[in-house]
Amino acid sequence: MKAMFSQWKAELLRTARDRRFFLLTLGMPIAFYLIFINQQGGDVKIAGTFWGEYFMVSMAAFGVLGSSVNTFGVRLAAERKSGWVRFLRTTPLSSVGYALAKTFTQLTLSLFIVIVIFAVAHFSQNVDLAPVRWLEILAWLWLGSLPFAALGVLIGMAGSAAQVLGTLVYLVFSMLGGLMTPVQVLPKTMQQIARWMPTYHFARPAWNLLANRSVQWSDVAILLAYALLFIALAALVQRRVDSRPE
Amino acid sequence: MDAIVEMIDVAKEFGRKQAVRSVSLAIARGSAVALLGPNGAGKTTSIAMMLGLLRPTRGQVRLFGGDPGSPRQHVRLGVMLQSVSVPDRLTVAETINLFRGFYPAPLPTERLLSAAGLKDDARTMANRLSGGKMRRLQFALAMAGDPDALFLDEPTVGMDVTSRRQFWDELRGFIASGKTLLLTTHDLQEADMVADRVIVMNEGTIVADAPPERIKMEFGGRQISFAAGAGVDLAQLDRLPYVLSVHTAGRKVTLRTTDSDAVLRRLIQGEWDISDIQVTGAGLEDAFVRLTTEMGEHT
Repeated sequence: MKAMFSQWKAELLRTARDRRFFLLTLGMPIAFYLIFINQQGGDVKIAGTFWGEYFMVSMAAFGVLGSSVNTFGVRLAAERKSGWVRFLRTTPLSSVGYALAKTFTQLTLSLFIVIVIFAVAHFSQNVDLAPVRWLEILAWLWLGSLPFAALGVLIGMAGSAAQVLGTLVYLVFSMLGGLMTPVQVLPKTMQQIARWMPTYHFARPAWNLLANRSVQWSDVAILLAYALLFIALAALVQRRVDSRPE
Repeated sequence: MDAIVEMIDVAKEFGRKQAVRSVSLAIARGSAVALLGPNGAGKTTSIAMMLGLLRPTRGQVRLFGGDPGSPRQHVRLGVMLQSVSVPDRLTVAETINLFRGFYPAPLPTERLLSAAGLKDDARTMANRLSGGKMRRLQFALAMAGDPDALFLDEPTVGMDVTSRRQFWDELRGFIASGKTLLLTTHDLQEADMVADRVIVMNEGTIVADAPPERIKMEFGGRQISFAAGAGVDLAQLDRLPYVLSVHTAGRKVTLRTTDSDAVLRRLIQGEWDISDIQVTGAGLEDAFVRLTTEMGEHT
């Protein structure tokens, strides 16, 4: 427990010093939000809610995705490549403890990102929801970020390709999942593709909550399936890495 | 059985390559053991198995009497591995504190900083340290949990002379307090400084296991090299007293001997047609390979 806490604390400290994290992972969704809202106007109606609210959820999801696949995945790859992960295995910090500490770090960062995006939307567009609604959406985006943490772990195993792969997944998943442009205005084929994107099923329940609709279990199920897929793939890659000579 | 580490008929294969063939050993509490051998002898693979980083293909490995892969067995252990670099965006002191957090009863940060000679670098970003200081930081990390046993894989690579001296002073203090040390090196002098037992590995097996004095005797040879003139019968060189081995490359001759003075006297007084004479201590890396093959034949 103490070992995990120590690891968690150090990870947060490292993130707080990471300029890339603030400029890109946090800065981009904020910038996109301010730009795209001013182009359309926050009062435009969309999917039973307003553009200012709808896109707030999109950008919160975009931020969480970036923190998982870009910052987290790339950092993990660097730690593996530098032999640090191997070194940690000689300490009393277990592999499970290490994974949990990393997961808690990601959850902490997701919470932080979502709250910052909410604050930006609230103060720039006067987005105002019932307190319960705020909490519901926050809770969903927070817990729904877990499959993306698993995706980050998988990307972290890509070695020197992690940076490129992370950026690619970041862009492709956010565009095809309808985080940049709402699915409703996309061509039919793109809509079909979006339905298979984890990012779409991550943001959709939050969009539904905005429109006073309830969370659909199919979204939860698909996200869970993705999480299991990412974890299984990561375990598979791990086994191959372990059987290589030093 | 009060062994820190036990290996029973252990082998490790990577695909078709046999890194470790058959190793059995026990390292007693309170001993200081140096694991020596040329590169590729299987030292690092052996240590990796003792630490649970690798699973043996065959045989049994125990660490503190238990499964080396279990994190519980690592509480009383400090480790330095090769080619590890520390995470970015943490200072030296923060990295040490991260590690202190892993252990139930860590040493104070100040004590670790001074043991590693990094007091002035406490607030430096750890990944910006020079090679030698990086190694010292890793020593501080190994000591963080106040371990009963230290496993050091090539600890002094990259350290300068001053760092080395301080490092060995620390290690001697560590051993003197009754703790256990296992280190790999290909530097015999290093082994001689701290170890009370030397295990020599070659091609995945143990070829010698003895106190350093005995190993040194096997090694004590020097090399004489010279260019031999056309009239010299090279076959006769082998019959000279004190000559251990003769190596020729064209007319260039290298003798390994237990008494270079006696051999030289003979060569000069016998008016051998030789020139370009050089006397050197046997290269340790080479000498190890030779030692290992010779001892392999004797036993």
